[in-house]
Amino acid sequence: MTITKRARASAARLNFGGPLSWLFFLLMVVFILGPLAWLGIRAFAESWTFPNLGPDGWTLRWWSVVLSDETLGRAVQNSLALAALTVLVSACICLPAAYAFARYEFWGRRTFLIGLFALNAFPKMGLYVTIASLFYAFNLMSTVLGVLIVHVLGTVVFMTWIPAAAFAAVPQRLEEAARDAGASKLRVFLSVTLPLALPGILVAVVMSFLASFDEAQGTYLIGAPDIMTMPTEMYTLVLNYPNQVAAVFSILLAIPSVALLLAAHKHIVGGTLAEGFQIK
Amino acid sequence: MTLAPARGAKRRATATAAVARRPLGFFLALPPIVLILLFVGFPIVLAFAFSIGLTGGLNHVIASIGLNVHEAENWWGTPAAYLEVLSSPRILRDLVTTVVVTALSTTVVIFLALGIGLFLKLRDGRMARLLSGLAIIPLFIPVVIASWAIVTFYSGDGFLRSIFAQFGVEAPVWAFTLVAVVIGSVWTSLPFAVLMITSGLQAIPNAMIEAARDAGAGFMRIVVSILVPMAFVPILIAITFTAIGVVGSFTVPYFTGPNAPNMLGVSMSNYFSAFNQPQQAVVMAFIVFLIASGIAATYVWANFRSAKDQGKI
Repeated sequence: MTITKRARASAARLNFGGPLSWLFFLLMVVFILGPLAWLGIRAFAESWTFPNLGPDGWTLRWWSVVLSDETLGRAVQNSLALAALTVLVSACICLPAAYAFARYEFWGRRTFLIGLFALNAFPKMGLYVTIASLFYAFNLMSTVLGVLIVHVLGTVVFMTWIPAAAFAAVPQRLEEAARDAGASKLRVFLSVTLPLALPGILVAVVMSFLASFDEAQGTYLIGAPDIMTMPTEMYTLVLNYPNQVAAVFSILLAIPSVALLLAAHKHIVGGTLAEGFQIK
Repeated sequence: MTLAPARGAKRRATATAAVARRPLGFFLALPPIVLILLFVGFPIVLAFAFSIGLTGGLNHVIASIGLNVHEAENWWGTPAAYLEVLSSPRILRDLVTTVVVTALSTTVVIFLALGIGLFLKLRDGRMARLLSGLAIIPLFIPVVIASWAIVTFYSGDGFLRSIFAQFGVEAPVWAFTLVAVVIGSVWTSLPFAVLMITSGLQAIPNAMIEAARDAGAGFMRIVVSILVPMAFVPILIAITFTAIGVVGSFTVPYFTGPNAPNMLGVSMSNYFSAFNQPQQAVVMAFIVFLIASGIAATYVWANFRSAKDQGKI
């Protein structure tokens, strides 16, 4: 986006580009990256004496502690498998609905959309408490299905809203043109609508994967101690292990997220995510 | 997003009448709705019955496990559990804490996001783009890690104290205080607000800003009279989602906050697991839900208002 010289001038007059903005920038860097760096260094630290700004020595010992620990290894497997399964199930359930919200007018449409939003308004912990009492009655506590349900619930809003906005943004004239050229409905959907809506779906998949990978409270309440994922292991880890082990585990836990960030970065910053929550 | 497709669909309905009002859309949209009714709506109704002392049926198991359960002797329930929770000074303090932390965190988040958004809109450059990229990073860090990193950063032997100690200054310990809860909430909520507000501000045509400048408007005037009102809906969405996220949060206050008073999300979990008083936990959930729905109502209202505005044009 370009901006006029005048707006630039007015911004400059307010020190928007001056030392004040540098200070703001620096504070934001420390605020956002500081905690991550401070924790990250610990993964390679021998020990640490206050108030030194660096560790007393460097070591890779903590990595072997984590990588050789079987329960932690299983947690890594559980997390990855659960997240993949969650995205798959959620996509099957929500993507057709997203298409319907974008392309059809039907009875109860608005109520449905607000209902989806209401899911977001109920406090997560309270929701899990209520779900847990239901799961007791249905024998779903400590089962994979129970945990999967909780994870899928956490992704419904992303998987419906963001792709719905993406489907709605596909120009209908393109679809009609393809129909006029003799393409079947399925062909139009597969060759025109789907490719154009793909960035939105990709963002939804990434967000859902992360939501599942990140989910800790519900998994802990429903799944522990039988089904432990990486985030729920963190709860016990920080209490029972030295700080450095938690740091190693944190880095491992952040790897998939950062990989996905790099993959979908363009679309998320480009406004696809914001689009999903917005009325235009 | 809610209403744009609806308007499109309606226009189509009158124009071509081909796709509109076929039951197919309804059935396609059904699966997530059924899922939510089954695993959110139904448990909430059940939990509400439990909170007013109706302990029969599916609530029987939880009522027999839990301690200190108020049972109703009639079919319409009893407010006893609500009265107990609302007269407990400990829980009331948690309630006040929850409201204050939510208000404070939301305010800080919105101001930071507005600052970054305006920076990007009015002074596009490498630093502005770096800044907005930086603000997105927390989106990709699991909240558990973020909370733990923040505790370590602001702890007794953390970065803040270490830096100040280099100059012989004793900095405060923020870990396990409400300050850390606010910091953590701001840290984790920032990306969504920045994405929302930035995209809202970017959608405003630059020509409008130029026109206002030609008419002699100053920087503040442009921000207050043009940019903020034009991006009002995205800003409101950012506010509601931030506030709802913070008000019901658990992980951040659990890791970074003090034992007491803390936010209701933590006491809810304590009452449910540690104290084994599920009814009181459920009552707290409904109190938080009430606050959250108040916030959510403004979002729905904004959606309708915006749709109405667009419909008139």
